[in-house]
Amino acid sequence: MAAAFPLGWRQVEPLDTLFAAGRDFPRGRISEIVGTRSSGRTSVLHALLAASTGRGEYAALVDTKDAFDPCSAAACSDAGGVELSKLVWVRCGGNAEHALRAADLLIQAGGFGVVALDLAEATPAALNRIPPTAWFRFRRALESTPTILTVLADHPLAKSCSSMTVKMPPRRAVFTGRAPFLLLRDAG
Amino acid sequence: MFACIHGADANRLADSFSPFVEMVDEKTAVFTVTARQFGAVKHVQAQVALAATAEAAILAARNLPGYTFIPPGEEARVLGALSIDALPPDPELFETFHLWGIRSLEDLSRLPADALASRLGDRGLWLQRLARGAFERPLRPQLPAAVYEESAELDHPIKLREPLLFLIARFLHDLTARLKSQSLAASSLHLTLNGEQRRHGLPFPTRDVKLLLKLVEHSLEREPPAEPVAKLRLELIPTEPRRVQHGLFTPAAPEPEKLELTLGKIRGLVGEKNVGYPELFDTHRPGSAKPSGALLPFRYFRPPLEAQVTAERLSTRMFQGKILQIAGPWRSSGDWWRPDTWNRDEYDLALSDGALYRIYLDRGLKKWFVEGVYD
Repeated sequence: MAAAFPLGWRQVEPLDTLFAAGRDFPRGRISEIVGTRSSGRTSVLHALLAASTGRGEYAALVDTKDAFDPCSAAACSDAGGVELSKLVWVRCGGNAEHALRAADLLIQAGGFGVVALDLAEATPAALNRIPPTAWFRFRRALESTPTILTVLADHPLAKSCSSMTVKMPPRRAVFTGRAPFLLLRDAG
Repeated sequence: MFACIHGADANRLADSFSPFVEMVDEKTAVFTVTARQFGAVKHVQAQVALAATAEAAILAARNLPGYTFIPPGEEARVLGALSIDALPPDPELFETFHLWGIRSLEDLSRLPADALASRLGDRGLWLQRLARGAFERPLRPQLPAAVYEESAELDHPIKLREPLLFLIARFLHDLTARLKSQSLAASSLHLTLNGEQRRHGLPFPTRDVKLLLKLVEHSLEREPPAEPVAKLRLELIPTEPRRVQHGLFTPAAPEPEKLELTLGKIRGLVGEKNVGYPELFDTHRPGSAKPSGALLPFRYFRPPLEAQVTAERLSTRMFQGKILQIAGPWRSSGDWWRPDTWNRDEYDLALSDGALYRIYLDRGLKKWFVEGVYD
């Protein structure tokens, strides 16, 4: 089921608000966060990781394109930011196959609250090489575990294997001040 | 029975009786003796004492000349004549003893224990038990640091991984058994193949042979030995074992053993330096600094994309567009004394593709780069 959050956010709402609205990321399932650049997809991922590590869980981020910024993740406004000491970071240097294999190993290891697979900005050629069976294998491996597998991508990848898809529409930047003395306030 | 030798050559003399010797100070050595050794101890050319407790033997050897044998139960009588100054110094309590008129160990040992404890506390009670020769404690011998290592020089060098792992497994079984006998675990594993050492730091102390063997196996898979192995040495660095108390309400966490193996496999896949926990440094360097407040979520392009920037357009090999709004510049520089110094002007810009980028002009290279995108 694809569930789109009501957007037009000035800033990504704290994840607690989303949870309170009954829109939790389901455990033991695959969820997707999809959107274009600057749509706020990374904000949602940081909020999810912050909520998980804030609960004392361990989380893992498989970063296909080495795009993760620990500074902004630690400074995320949700749940006091991502606790970096509880986050396993795997950098895959652009290799989507390695990213899938690493995510598979982390799910098999068990014990993680969230395993995030960041496939955003991956090339279409690399994404096309992902066999559809990979998502079925993930779905099977996640069953009866408390782990949330979140896939961050430019467009939906897991298709029917995904239990929830958060679509992030494009947003407008908010600058304050008068030209030429502008200041970027928000990406929304 | 405990024996104590007090003299200039105490350590050497004590070593001739027992391998387990506690050196109380440079001139005083305590060790245990059996009845057979009493005669030999008697002829030692130093101040020697035999007693049922270590502390009674130490007091007697330090303060009584020649050879002293204290029969069990007679400690208070034999030690009673010694001055109160024979006890370990405690200026505050000794001043109180002086005011009370206590001059000898006998005076102290005759005081009622309950009353002494209520006035002088545990320390006073402990001194009285020393004075009575009744304080019992085990011997604390200084043992030489054990080295847990096995090595082999092979007549026929091993080319294949499986026979090598078979040999390593045998070493690991022996070494972990030795560690177990001493209630220790391994904190690090050092494997030397043909003189080339590989160090494997373990995230937690363990003596699990399967786990250690798997770690070695992953290491050999990642970096096979350049030549057939003729010389092999394996060392485990000992440490205190891990003690974990699980709570009913603590969140689930990956099992350390399983996680280490998993990370080992992933390291083999993506490289040693690409797996770990992120850490921020105490610096102003972009991308590494500890944040002082909330930041907009950001995604990096690693390495940064070289860009052509005009007043109206930005173009890179991945994207291009019209510049709608731009904020900046913010100039920053630092670490001028290092080769990787930075000196740049940063801008935030909204492009016609709907995204918000951070670009910068490298003032050293005189080139524009797109560092990443706000997301």
